[in-house]
Amino acid sequence: MALLGTNGAGKTTLLRILATLLVPTSGAALVAGYDPVHDPAAVRRHLGHHAGTDLGFYPRLTGRENLRFFGRLNYLSDAVLRTRIAELAERFELVGALDRQVRTLSAGTLQRLSLLRALLHQPKVLLLDEPTRSLDAIGASEFRRFLKTEVHLHHGTSILFASHILPEIEFLADRVVVLKEGSLVAFDTPSALKSGTGSSSLEEAFFRLTGHSVHSPEEVRPV
Amino acid sequence: MTQTLRNLVLFFERDVRIARTYRGPFVLELLEALFGAALFYYVARFVDSPELRQALPQGTSYFAYSLVGFVFFDYLNAALDTFDRSILEARDAGTLEPLLTTQVSLTTILIGSAIYPFVVTTLRIAVYLAWGAFLFDFPLRAANWLTVVVVLLASLLAFSGLGILSSAYLLLFKRGNPAKWLILGVSSVVGGMLFPVSILPDWLQVIAHLNPITYALDAMRAALLDDATVPSIARPVLILLFFAVILLPVSLATFHWALLRTKVTGTLTHR
Repeated sequence: MALLGTNGAGKTTLLRILATLLVPTSGAALVAGYDPVHDPAAVRRHLGHHAGTDLGFYPRLTGRENLRFFGRLNYLSDAVLRTRIAELAERFELVGALDRQVRTLSAGTLQRLSLLRALLHQPKVLLLDEPTRSLDAIGASEFRRFLKTEVHLHHGTSILFASHILPEIEFLADRVVVLKEGSLVAFDTPSALKSGTGSSSLEEAFFRLTGHSVHSPEEVRPV
Repeated sequence: MTQTLRNLVLFFERDVRIARTYRGPFVLELLEALFGAALFYYVARFVDSPELRQALPQGTSYFAYSLVGFVFFDYLNAALDTFDRSILEARDAGTLEPLLTTQVSLTTILIGSAIYPFVVTTLRIAVYLAWGAFLFDFPLRAANWLTVVVVLLASLLAFSGLGILSSAYLLLFKRGNPAKWLILGVSSVVGGMLFPVSILPDWLQVIAHLNPITYALDAMRAALLDDATVPSIARPVLILLFFAVILLPVSLATFHWALLRTKVTGTLTHR
């Protein structure tokens, strides 16, 4: 499921509420059947969270040391961690980066390392905030394919992600939540959003739903 | 319980691994301790007088008295600084949120992050005393090590409450707690760091006896310089534990409340 909205619409805030990092002023939510406000520990047992900006690693530790530390804090044994790290690092093409200090890794590598960490304890629900922000086109495409096939289809993990990249949303999301200034304005499949607004693309549908004017390509003239 | 202990060890291990990547500071700290011990030795030689000897516990040199006061004052400093620093570092490195989405409790994160700095402070104190004994005749043979350990633990518990309160302030207001500097300033004057509390005016002695550092230094000097047994220093140790029993639950509750406030206001990672 994708969260779509302009800057400041509340996508990150919603993800952080579900990740138990913020307490909502009103409303209720359930993550994997648990309430993030009243039962945050249970929510965290079933949750993987990958933030878009601060990826949160210890820069002077290696990737493997960081993963082991956070994995152990999620009650994974050393034996399980060894297997999971090896397996996921192979798929994420991170094997060569595991034994390097995190401060020497590129932004894209860190992004993948952060997702690997979020998946270590095989969470039922994965929250991703702009997961492909720092990846190049090939890396982003690989990453999306991995999320869809391995994480969602193979492991059955539910994914809720915020993104501004509409093709990414169309590729990954069964349903889209459209937010505007903290309120939900639409919730449907990408094709239903398009047909419901009489739009030919998800971009057009998004513009219509959020009250922005749709510009035709002809209106954009070279200067 | 076992899981909590394992988690605490994990935090300690994390900090040791990080510290291992910085090699220079360790050697520099050894030298700093040497110069620190030398400083107290020569100051003590310079200020030695019959009046001073009369004010000190019998048989104690001013060098030994002031060195113990100075190095154990570092515990109060470490307690007030450690929790703040762990929050600041986690916030700046962006690890605070990933930590808070793991399954360990906040209390474990706080205590776990404090173990390494306390161990390092203990080692630094040991190095100071070792230089003092090796070069300047500090009377290490007079120490009762079991009592030293008991006093250390009781002091840590008593001081930690103040440190956790300080980090609650930091969470809420994003800046270091000014009360921390007040506590350190007042304690350095009235806590008996470099001179006995008995030479202070009466009203300052009252303040001194409301401060855990006074009891910690009294007990530590007795343990290190006078071979005091645990029963013989039961009073200051019990007072330190009383401070801990009051301050620890209050500080942890305040910290939890401060964290909840920052989660409501969305300012947890704000600088």
